Amino acid sequence: MITASIRPGSAGDAVDGVVPRQIVEPSDANELASTLQAASRDRQVSVLRGGGTKLGWGRPAAAIDLVVSTAKLNTLLVHRHGDMTATAHAGVSLAQFNRELARHGQWLPIDSAFDAATIGGIVATNDSGPVRHRYGTPRDLLIGITLALTDGRIVKAGGHVVKNVAGYDLGKLASGSFGTFAAIVDATFKLLPIPQASATLDASYDDGEVLARDVMQVSTSQLEPMAFDVMLDGGQYRLRLLFASSPEAVSAQIESAQRLLSKPSTVVTGDPEMDVWTDQVRSPWVGTGAVIRFGWLPAKLAEITTLMHDVQQIAGSIVMCGRVGMGAGLMRVDGDVRTQAALVQRLRSSVWVGNVAVLRASHDLKQHVDVWGPASSAADAVRALKGMFDPAGILNAGRGPI
Amino acid sequence: MDERLVEEFRRISGPENVLREPIKLMTYECDALPHLRQMPALVVLPGSAAEVQAIVRLCAKEGVPFVARGHGTGLSGGALPVPGGVVIGLARLNRVLDVDIPNRRVTVEPGVTNLEITKQVAPYGYYYAPDPSSQQVCSIGGNVAENSGGAHCLKYGFTVHHILAVEAVLPNGDLVQIGSPLPDAPGPDLLGLIVGSEGTLAVVTKVIVRILRKPESVQTLLAAFNSIREAGAAVSDIIGAGIIPAAVEMMDAVAIRAAEAAVHPNFPPADTILIVELDGPSSEVRELFAVVEDTCRRAGATTVEVAPDDTQRARIWKGRKAAFAAMGRVSPNYYVQDGVVPRTKLPEVLGRIAALSQRSGLPIGNVFHAGDGNLHPLICYDERIPGQATLAEEVAGEILTYCVEAGGSITGEHGVGADKKDYMPRMFSDDDLDVMQRLRDAIDPRRLCNPGKVLPTPRLCGEVPGPYRQHPVEAAGLADRF
Repeated sequence: MITASIRPGSAGDAVDGVVPRQIVEPSDANELASTLQAASRDRQVSVLRGGGTKLGWGRPAAAIDLVVSTAKLNTLLVHRHGDMTATAHAGVSLAQFNRELARHGQWLPIDSAFDAATIGGIVATNDSGPVRHRYGTPRDLLIGITLALTDGRIVKAGGHVVKNVAGYDLGKLASGSFGTFAAIVDATFKLLPIPQASATLDASYDDGEVLARDVMQVSTSQLEPMAFDVMLDGGQYRLRLLFASSPEAVSAQIESAQRLLSKPSTVVTGDPEMDVWTDQVRSPWVGTGAVIRFGWLPAKLAEITTLMHDVQQIAGSIVMCGRVGMGAGLMRVDGDVRTQAALVQRLRSSVWVGNVAVLRASHDLKQHVDVWGPASSAADAVRALKGMFDPAGILNAGRGPI
Repeated sequence: MDERLVEEFRRISGPENVLREPIKLMTYECDALPHLRQMPALVVLPGSAAEVQAIVRLCAKEGVPFVARGHGTGLSGGALPVPGGVVIGLARLNRVLDVDIPNRRVTVEPGVTNLEITKQVAPYGYYYAPDPSSQQVCSIGGNVAENSGGAHCLKYGFTVHHILAVEAVLPNGDLVQIGSPLPDAPGPDLLGLIVGSEGTLAVVTKVIVRILRKPESVQTLLAAFNSIREAGAAVSDIIGAGIIPAAVEMMDAVAIRAAEAAVHPNFPPADTILIVELDGPSSEVRELFAVVEDTCRRAGATTVEVAPDDTQRARIWKGRKAAFAAMGRVSPNYYVQDGVVPRTKLPEVLGRIAALSQRSGLPIGNVFHAGDGNLHPLICYDERIPGQATLAEEVAGEILTYCVEAGGSITGEHGVGADKKDYMPRMFSDDDLDVMQRLRDAIDPRRLCNPGKVLPTPRLCGEVPGPYRQHPVEAAGLADRF
């Protein structure tokens, strides 16, 4: 019997334009598990919701019976600061989590463009930002997980030690699963000390080839930036390098980096530095344009800038942000649906980019393109796992990525 | 094994690459955990991914269990053969396929050794980060299966953090790519599941690894302490100061004595030795290394030796990395345990291990990755003394109980394999294990891919294959799962 609070869905609860029949807010792990069990038994199509900031990502939704919210699973369970690990309920926001961790000079080094983004949503989407250059994506920091399954059970994998190879890593499987396997109850992460000092270099470029040369200079140097990003906006590129370490080391690295760049750069610190990175993280999400994620081989940045030139011919202005050390980018395209669809096709047909996924898109655009792109050769294995975790096929049904 | 089948394997990989003579099979009857042995029916040594696929397809069609094997350096019996089964030896798949320095990646076949990757890229100023002690001989395929760590994983992570994609044959014979050479492949992280699955979900035929630029500066110090408690306090203070060293290693008196006897690293006399290595930009290393030195002295270090050059650094690491094998110098036999505790629980657990050593009468040496709480107690025994081997095994098991009670893990890097599967219920509930079994069954419904590893099996006869069900004897409370 479900005792969790239930209310009818309203316009404010719409997922990708579809108003769900009911909203359930379980208040603990057991309620969450029994909610899923009942939904599975009754074959109710269910969508899991954390902060609701990335809920529109995915294929167009058909009817949704249930939105299961983690809003009441919002406790930071434990911060083992001596061990530099912490466990939080799925519904805790990343911002709140990091505020608490900062009391002991630690943080979970993950960027989010969204204030309300929760730990559960960040794991489920494996969403990341500029600091992945040093720290990786959420899956690289996740060391333990508790999941509520559609058969009503609560299971865990991993633990709260940073080194552990006992058993299958279900946390990895939850990473990027978009709530298609199970609900995340809580997650445990390894943490990092907050760096003592930081400074950012900001340089601008008109010419993509010059930019690519400077990026290669930094890449092959022994500098160790925390973030290594570009932004293309209004036809101009900005190169942004964040150094974070001890104060002396930050100054020394800033000086070395300035010597490597062929363009003059400004050193930004303090609040303006925060603003630079907020801008870098949020720019792709400003307004309502389509947002496309894509990857490239890092040494092919010059080719990518040529591609961006072509893309601007199709779409007029675009905003592109990228992690140039690994070749991971986000692009925002305003314009009409036909332009947006043409641009997605252009990216997918390019030999220089891959893993082109349309994250934010209008209902219309989703009719024109498959947001996830072609399935991988291992898709059958992933489907077999989906069938095991969610035999009734209720979780994020049809929206993918599986 | 049926002659017709043997003929099929010969047809796939050539008669010279199918081994059946007992003398040749003996090489394959165990990995580096020699007390678990099992003769396979057959060993096949494929020379290409296509051959691996054909072998797995044949096994799947005929219902023959198969076990993939790299260079046999595993410490948990992960490559232990199955009675009547086939060992797929991947040693011939040892080609480096692509060294791509501008994109910082190397594509190799699974039989390439861990160190070979670094050798390939070192001339360009790059290296492959995970460095298990066996790195000169262990295969990258084995590293993927075990999610191998090493001394430097405190800062740099494990194998799973350094693999971009693999090509693998699934138990049904499908040859697939898992992961992506480019970032952000949509969908659940199947690669992260496969890495560390101990060869139970796939046979890897190609690996794309990420390589790193060599750090500008490396500084290593060796500090001697009068007690493990003081050394432990130094570690806590270093990390408490916001410093993440590249490595923090500890050795106790027993391990120091063994290392001295074997490779003469000329360590100072001490109860406990702490090795701390920092790497990164010169300015950062210089500034933080001073803090580390000072912290060690304040914590009571009797001597602090700073390696002035690469030769001296190599000497320190030689002493540390030789510690396992060196045990053979001071004890006729030894058992290497691998457990993890939260770092703050190290003093408590080491105290319990010392008491256990005294109680059991078996000397226990400790060599461990102190930064991440990964213990490697070396339990010394003499198999010629009746009962000591069993006692050593019991002592090793007891240590795992301490680790789990302290909130840790039964294995940090050696894997569960055949050795520790019966300890899994100490860490995981029946439901946790059942879901892991079902996950495995979803990928390998016929249970042919490295069966009998990772997940516990009731030690009861008359078990029928299929999803785990409680045995009637177990249900009646007359037997337990071990």
